[in-house]
Amino acid sequence: MVTGLGTYLTLSAVLFGIGAAGFLARRNLLLQLMSIEIMLNSVNLALVAINRAHPTSHAGQVFAFFVIAVAAAEASVGLAILISVFRLKKSVESDRADLLKG
Amino acid sequence: MTSLFGDWAALLPLLVLAGAGMAMLFVDAFVKENAQLGLFAALILGGTALVSCGLWDEPVTMTSPAILGGYLAADRLALLADMAMCGGAGLACLLAGGYLREHKLERGEFYVLVVWSTLGAMALVRATDLLALFVSLEALSLGVYCLVAFRRHSPKSAEGAMKYFLLGSFASAILLFGMALLYGATVHTDFAGMAEAFRTGETGDGPLDLRLGILGMALVLIGLAFKVSAVPFHMWTPDAYEGAVTPATTFMAVVVKAATVVVIVRVFFGVFGTEMLAGATSGWPVAVMGLAAITLVVGNVAALVQKNVKRMLAYSSIAHAGFLLVGIAAAAQLDDGRLTTETVSSVLFYLLAYTVSNVLAFGSLIAVGSRGKEAVTYEDLAGVGRRHPWVGVPFTIGVLSLMGFPPTAGFFGKYWVLEAAVSAGGPLTYLAILAVLMSAVGAYYYLKVLVFLFMKQPEAGAPVAEPMRSGYVVAALILSGYFVMRMGLAPTAYLELAQGASYQLAGLPDPNAEPAEPAEAEAPPTEVAAAAE
Repeated sequence: MVTGLGTYLTLSAVLFGIGAAGFLARRNLLLQLMSIEIMLNSVNLALVAINRAHPTSHAGQVFAFFVIAVAAAEASVGLAILISVFRLKKSVESDRADLLKG
Repeated sequence: MTSLFGDWAALLPLLVLAGAGMAMLFVDAFVKENAQLGLFAALILGGTALVSCGLWDEPVTMTSPAILGGYLAADRLALLADMAMCGGAGLACLLAGGYLREHKLERGEFYVLVVWSTLGAMALVRATDLLALFVSLEALSLGVYCLVAFRRHSPKSAEGAMKYFLLGSFASAILLFGMALLYGATVHTDFAGMAEAFRTGETGDGPLDLRLGILGMALVLIGLAFKVSAVPFHMWTPDAYEGAVTPATTFMAVVVKAATVVVIVRVFFGVFGTEMLAGATSGWPVAVMGLAAITLVVGNVAALVQKNVKRMLAYSSIAHAGFLLVGIAAAAQLDDGRLTTETVSSVLFYLLAYTVSNVLAFGSLIAVGSRGKEAVTYEDLAGVGRRHPWVGVPFTIGVLSLMGFPPTAGFFGKYWVLEAAVSAGGPLTYLAILAVLMSAVGAYYYLKVLVFLFMKQPEAGAPVAEPMRSGYVVAALILSGYFVMRMGLAPTAYLELAQGASYQLAGLPDPNAEPAEPAEAEAPPTEVAAAAE
């Protein structure tokens, strides 16, 4: 049984959708951060699958490595901001962020 | 410079700034007495802008090679963006030199973050590959998230940073998914290969998958609309702008926006510029027009009801993003290549004008406040212009330029963009009318600043704003004020810069070049004719 590119892209789109839905529905910063990671990893899946279907160059695989590295950097900055928010507010609920309005 | 460095000359602006950024990290780590890092950062950023100026007519720029294996471009568009962004970032560093000291926040990290984020922005405007675009966009964004969170003990700063980070990385993920789909559609990550695939319908490894391509393009547009803070993707902008320290706000308003607009120009005209994707009734120009219209309305109307001047300036920057999008949509609607190019150059001029006007307005806002008495609301500005004309006058010029009042830089920016929109005709005419109406709405909140500066007095018992005393801030105000007035009184030189960039991007000969060059450009047809004989 051959798994076609469409299958991988569908799975990737479903994962991306789950991540986006989680980001929009959750109100906990940490969970929102995890949702973003799911979205980034769904992109990795798509990139690698496309590269497998078109193996003329390795652009997709290399891209996936860069995405992993950038996701790590993004997580470190995100967690630093999260800690700074927690220190000041004793909470990581994004609903509590109501100082800036209008 | 080419004779000295060869093709490496094209990378000089990046290398200079990267080397200086490294040096700053060491200075910050080992020199305990704060070593005037603000001045140092401003000087190296200014120096980088000058290096970019110096490369303008060099052969490496004129032949526009794709350097580093096709990942980066070395063209005039990138150099023009360098001048705006490095100049703006340098002025923001000067402002920070005064502001951070006054508010007892002086830490070297600020300047280092500004320098490295600017480096990311410079790589971003050069990117000619999806990979380079993504990595440099993140290099820019991650630095700016930290800049917003810079005031560690302020809940507002943390909250602004949190919102900016969440929505920014959400937008990055959307942009990235779009890129992956584009890669799936065209089997290329370099812009040239992608454009070729969209034009011919062939990827070199099977036919182009148009559905994936269009979906990818839409997602890329959404991702970039987030970064340029177009409505309805603008929610983070006012909060991040208000939460950040004012020099960081200046940096965001100037550098992030300029870089994103240049990327939009490069990607949407370079990759998606085919007749099918950029059609007058279908395709991305229609979506950009819709974004522009709603951005103009929401940006201006929301700015109207603000009580906080910084927040008002944030909404005003959203409104300016709408104006820039009007220009981009107009450029795409014109079917004549030369007119399109002229319109792109008016967008670029608008960007230059917007940069210096914003630095002037934010710089004046910084100058009005002093330690413990930061100017925030309109009431804080009451009577300051009369008591301290040296703050009032630059504030007036900056606000008038943002409003588009002659003879300041903003006037010609708005005038040329509107002219292009009107000449594009069709729905763009209505968009131009909407833009004029919204500028009239904008005049209300800009003039309100002047009313408070010069015609009101602080109420009895209210705290009286005391401007800070800082040579750095004054220097930044004088420099940006000079450019605002210069662009308003003699805009030709700057328009020629913008034209040089946009004509090269379109592959047309520079209309302002020395007479020798058109002859050179005409040479190939005669050769062809000779061969035919």
